[in-house]
Amino acid sequence: MERRSFFKICAKGTLLVAISPFLIEGYLKADDGRLFKSFNRVKLLDCYGNPLKEEILQEEVTYVFNYPYASTPCFLIKLSEPAAKEIKLRDEEGSEYIWKGGVGKDKKVVAYSAICPHQLAHPNPNESFLGYIPKEKKSMAYKEGGVIVCASHLSAFDPKTGAKVLAGPAKEPMASIILDVDEEGVFWASAVLGPAKFFDYFKSFKPELKEFYKNIRKAKKLVSLGAVVKPLDVYSKEVVIY
Amino acid sequence: MALSRRDLLKISAILAATSSFGSESSKKDVDIKKSISSYRVQNAPLPKPKGPRVVVVGGGWSGLAVAKYLKKFSPKTDVVLIEKRSVFVSCPLSNLWLVDLIDLQFLTHDYLQAAQNNEYIYFNATVYDIDRVSKKVYTNEGIVSYDYLVLAPGIDYDYEEWTNGNMELETKLKSLYPAGFIPGSEHFTLKRKIEEFEEGNFVLTVPGGNYRCLPAPYERASLIAWYMKKEGIKGKVVLIDENPDITIKKDGFNSAFNELYKDYIEYLPGSKITDIDLDKKRVVTDMGDEIDFSDASFYPRIRGAKLLEIVGVAKDSAFNKKEADIDPFTYQSKADPYIYCTGDVRPMGFSKSGNTANSEGHLVAKIIASVIEGKEFKWDSPITVCYSAVSGDPIRAISVNAKYAYDKKKKVFTFKDASTMENWKGKQGIMSGKGLLEWAKGMYRDMFM
Repeated sequence: MERRSFFKICAKGTLLVAISPFLIEGYLKADDGRLFKSFNRVKLLDCYGNPLKEEILQEEVTYVFNYPYASTPCFLIKLSEPAAKEIKLRDEEGSEYIWKGGVGKDKKVVAYSAICPHQLAHPNPNESFLGYIPKEKKSMAYKEGGVIVCASHLSAFDPKTGAKVLAGPAKEPMASIILDVDEEGVFWASAVLGPAKFFDYFKSFKPELKEFYKNIRKAKKLVSLGAVVKPLDVYSKEVVIY
Repeated sequence: MALSRRDLLKISAILAATSSFGSESSKKDVDIKKSISSYRVQNAPLPKPKGPRVVVVGGGWSGLAVAKYLKKFSPKTDVVLIEKRSVFVSCPLSNLWLVDLIDLQFLTHDYLQAAQNNEYIYFNATVYDIDRVSKKVYTNEGIVSYDYLVLAPGIDYDYEEWTNGNMELETKLKSLYPAGFIPGSEHFTLKRKIEEFEEGNFVLTVPGGNYRCLPAPYERASLIAWYMKKEGIKGKVVLIDENPDITIKKDGFNSAFNELYKDYIEYLPGSKITDIDLDKKRVVTDMGDEIDFSDASFYPRIRGAKLLEIVGVAKDSAFNKKEADIDPFTYQSKADPYIYCTGDVRPMGFSKSGNTANSEGHLVAKIIASVIEGKEFKWDSPITVCYSAVSGDPIRAISVNAKYAYDKKKKVFTFKDASTMENWKGKQGIMSGKGLLEWAKGMYRDMFM
């Protein structure tokens, strides 16, 4: 089936389960194909290469894995409380989509593409201007903690509600990564929902991607086997957030 | 049969040649007029618009955002950006380049790339007049017709208070001691001055009114002092400030002046220059100070770019002369509903910074797109995010983050959700220094990618 017609069906929300059985929880409901794209179904792994299970995730720590491309970072965060459900979000052009909520035992685990939808700041092996601020802390970008902030231009996003914009110049949410947990309690990533910025990212960061991934082709390679999840301060040498 | 341009040129050339043999001088005048008019009627060499045409005059931080996002929000709109410069040079972060903390390449960007990436036309020309009745923009490269016009020409300097109409003094100040707040040659001259400085006082000034980039003179003073200290130059920066105190990020700059540059910065607040003697290289202030200087960069008051006055859409604001006379929520000219003004020509008391102008450009693009597409729009506050370096190696910076709200009673805009980070010491200052570079990279991506 062509991707386009698949999206149409997704939009109607009817045949979703039949077509895409791994999305049992029915995460997505975008009214526009642009806002949803499925990629390889990829198992998340811990630093030792073992399948990632919820018990090793610490609450309120920013973890990073690269998905759906070898060079596109995503945040994985286990919140201190269950995420909200069925959140209506809009991209900059006004298209609506629905973010279904968190996954895992208490629906606390969420994942987002860690490329700021404003000006594409993102964690790289040298540094990160993006990260999660724990509840009891505060940053310049927002009056409260429990938020993802981009220190580059001081946008703040709410991880409990699909990374909705709380403050700053960003005009749309961070794209979310569709996760599911299998019977053995292992996390999988399978799709991207919301305004993903991969095209602009590859265009804007050619020199940087060459530096870290040897060439642009390698940077654009789709992740297929497993994605290793690392704490942000391991993924990036320096986390620059204030 | 209609005459082609080539024919007209030929005829005017022949007429001009003929007239030189004639004896009547009045005939000569007529011929000159004819030959001139044959150029004047030319349209600019641009393709026919494929939709409503919006002409944006000025490719700075606001104009570039308007052009890009207008095309994004209303793809059927035909957007032409007219800019007199052929290369973009960033004023934000230029203070770091003055003391070699970043290279020139970091500041320079390519208009062609911006236009190509965002599907509008970049037209490299200088606008000298606009006919609002026939909706035509007159440039040195021909006439461009518009349906809607956006004026984002930025600032001009207003030397009046110092020169009182003395054009010789004004020209000398502009050419020998440029302010360095309109990028290009002014900045090159200033950089050379800093590099070649041997000893004595280096005078900098902070103007009154709502001048471009409130923290920049203090940042510049700090960085030149840092450079002097590093290079072992026996000199100091004398910062003459018309304002009663540091205008923004006061604690951060104050502590930097006192703790890092005690012997390198002499700060004179609440001081208006009453006399500039360029022969003696001496300035006098209303506080009675007489300061001899080895070199200087005089930053005068600013005003709206003169184009606004030519077009008839300017008015003195509460802060500066001849700024845009617009509705503060729609940016629409009060004199002409087809004209919008944005960026540093705005009369509202927002910070005249790159970030503010850029975020305003996003809003103005949304406003015009909604007019063209027949949609509604909601006003949203411009955003001021502004980092200032206080030292180099490593770069340490302080910052401010704010939005604006309208006070209906007082009829003014005030800061909303404002926060500052003024601690340049320790890890926090270094992180802000990195944030400063990252901020700029993101903004350049916004305008050019």
